[in-house]
Amino acid sequence: MKPVKIMALALVAVALVLLTAGCTQSSSSPSPGSNASAGSTAGETVGILYTQGVGPMPGLLATNQIDGYISWQPVAEAGVESGVGQIATYSKDLPPAGKWSNHPQNVFIVRNDFEAANPDFVNAYSALNLASSQYITDHPQESAGIIADWLAGKQNFTYGNVSVSSVTAVSNSLPTIKFTTEPSDSWKSSMSDFVDAQIAIGSVNGFLKNSSADRNTLLYNFAPYQSAESIVAGKNVTTPATIKDPVTVGYLLAVDHSALFVAVKDWQYFNDTYGIALKPQDATKAKPDVADFIVNGQKIAEVHLVSASAGPALMQLAATNAIQMSYVGAPPAIAAIDQGTPIKIAYPIDNLGTGLVVTRGAPAQDWQSFAAWAKQRSDAGKPLVIAAPGKGSIQDVMLRYALKDSGITTTEVKT
Amino acid sequence: MTRRFGLILPLLLILGWEAAAIVINNPFYLPRLETVIPVLLNPFSSDYTLGTGSLFDNAVVSIQRVTVGFGIAAAVAIPLGIGMGRSSRINDFFDTTVELLRPVPPLAWVPLALAWFKLGIASIVFIIFIGSIFPILLNTIDGVRGVKKTWIEVGTTLGAHERQVLTKVIVPGAAPTIWTGLRVGFGIAWMCVVAAEILPGPTSGLGYLIMYAYNLGQMNVIIAGMITIGLIGLAIDLLFKTIERRLFSWRGLDR
Repeated sequence: MKPVKIMALALVAVALVLLTAGCTQSSSSPSPGSNASAGSTAGETVGILYTQGVGPMPGLLATNQIDGYISWQPVAEAGVESGVGQIATYSKDLPPAGKWSNHPQNVFIVRNDFEAANPDFVNAYSALNLASSQYITDHPQESAGIIADWLAGKQNFTYGNVSVSSVTAVSNSLPTIKFTTEPSDSWKSSMSDFVDAQIAIGSVNGFLKNSSADRNTLLYNFAPYQSAESIVAGKNVTTPATIKDPVTVGYLLAVDHSALFVAVKDWQYFNDTYGIALKPQDATKAKPDVADFIVNGQKIAEVHLVSASAGPALMQLAATNAIQMSYVGAPPAIAAIDQGTPIKIAYPIDNLGTGLVVTRGAPAQDWQSFAAWAKQRSDAGKPLVIAAPGKGSIQDVMLRYALKDSGITTTEVKT
Repeated sequence: MTRRFGLILPLLLILGWEAAAIVINNPFYLPRLETVIPVLLNPFSSDYTLGTGSLFDNAVVSIQRVTVGFGIAAAVAIPLGIGMGRSSRINDFFDTTVELLRPVPPLAWVPLALAWFKLGIASIVFIIFIGSIFPILLNTIDGVRGVKKTWIEVGTTLGAHERQVLTKVIVPGAAPTIWTGLRVGFGIAWMCVVAAEILPGPTSGLGYLIMYAYNLGQMNVIIAGMITIGLIGLAIDLLFKTIERRLFSWRGLDR
């Protein structure tokens, strides 16, 4: 054979070897470096792997690099639909019993300077949030279509060779979320539990931990909620003063933030019913990024919609005034306020909605069996590895607290 | 003959990929081509890219951003490079700083870019600028220093001032090397597209599409995005090479 042909064949052989080499390694999960010794019941651990977002999680589970993951919707549901995993438990059933049965998930925050300068705008925007959240609760099927359009252009999620309709994934995840907006006493009490949980795991160690001021004063400003409530009830809103500069609002690509998606996509309905609308400038986009905020027929401001990969990223943007308001998870908002970010939580945006997904066929159908499995694996020297979106996220806080309650410590998996 | 010969390896790799994918039979390791090809074959449709717009629209947006960032990098690097190549004093002034900044990957600049330039096109253009400026700069310096001394001496003997030497001898003489710097620089600028579009803010572009698909775990869209980036990079590189052949075929002909 000519030397050139030999060389070409050799290159192809090398390429094939490289392609398959990475894929035929043994599928043992990475060890989190625990000190669990066989047979002892003390010192059982679970490794937490932070993935900075939830997208990679079903893939990691399918390639046996993790034993499970905890995430918001629709990724928890998509993991089940794709055949990759099974739900071990939803967040409301995490221990201690009853603690998280209506746990806060996401909130709406406003920068203090923005609220002080534009209170009527914030009130009107908040009224839209309230109305939109109620709409999702009342019209789940229509909302599922809108949300799937925003998150994925209504296309299928392809996980390997399984195709999951995004509309189905969103539809199935809606019942696991409560789109509440009322800052009730039980909600405030749960939020306080979150702060305690974050102090216990060390993600809160600033103002909220050390200041003698009342926690509620540091965290909340419910004025927008109170005004919004009367606007929605009376279907009567004062036209705010126009704002010259664009207003930027942050959000995450999560079903939890659907109040925004429905408000924008169904702007006509809210315009006709309440006189408030967030009208997209380009309605053909699946995911509009610029909208006009209109009250009583008058354009008040141009609103820019910016998504980030996780709550802490949004809070960094809020700290530099790159965004003035945001939909965000409660723990990142709490941590930001703890660090001195000049924002306040105005009201909840949703409760519940987190799922713990494990490998399909694993001996975990509820928390008790999951904890037993975790202990058994730890004792055998192969602790579980569970992926969480980010340090200090709701999912991270709840999982670590629940594991602690079950006598299991956690270590961070370093790769 | 050379063109077709160069296609053999890509074709073999594609066949090898499909064969390996069938053998491994776990699409998370190696997605089957059937899931990637439909995305590539429908570049003008919005139905394959998770609601971010068509593959073509995203490509156009990325090309626009890269062109602006690259243009600014060239506008800064070429004059600076000529100065640094021509004058050892200017070179000594800038050299340490350049060598300190050069190894820093564009991705590392992302948080600072966001803080300095806020959300919007400026931060994206900055990342592309910082990625592509160094190859252009270094090649310009190299090209200027490499201009044959004989030519410069002929110029000065015939009575040229420094400015005439620069415009009539140095710049045209260095042009082929500067052009190579531009070609390499554009390649790097194009690579920076993904890094630049990781920033929150953009809602379109090939880098944005890849990160978005990553956030939703859609491997086939990621790979289609990667292939598109590769193909466009190849096309632009060919364009640079064609222009080089037209304008600089005199290179190496002198004794």
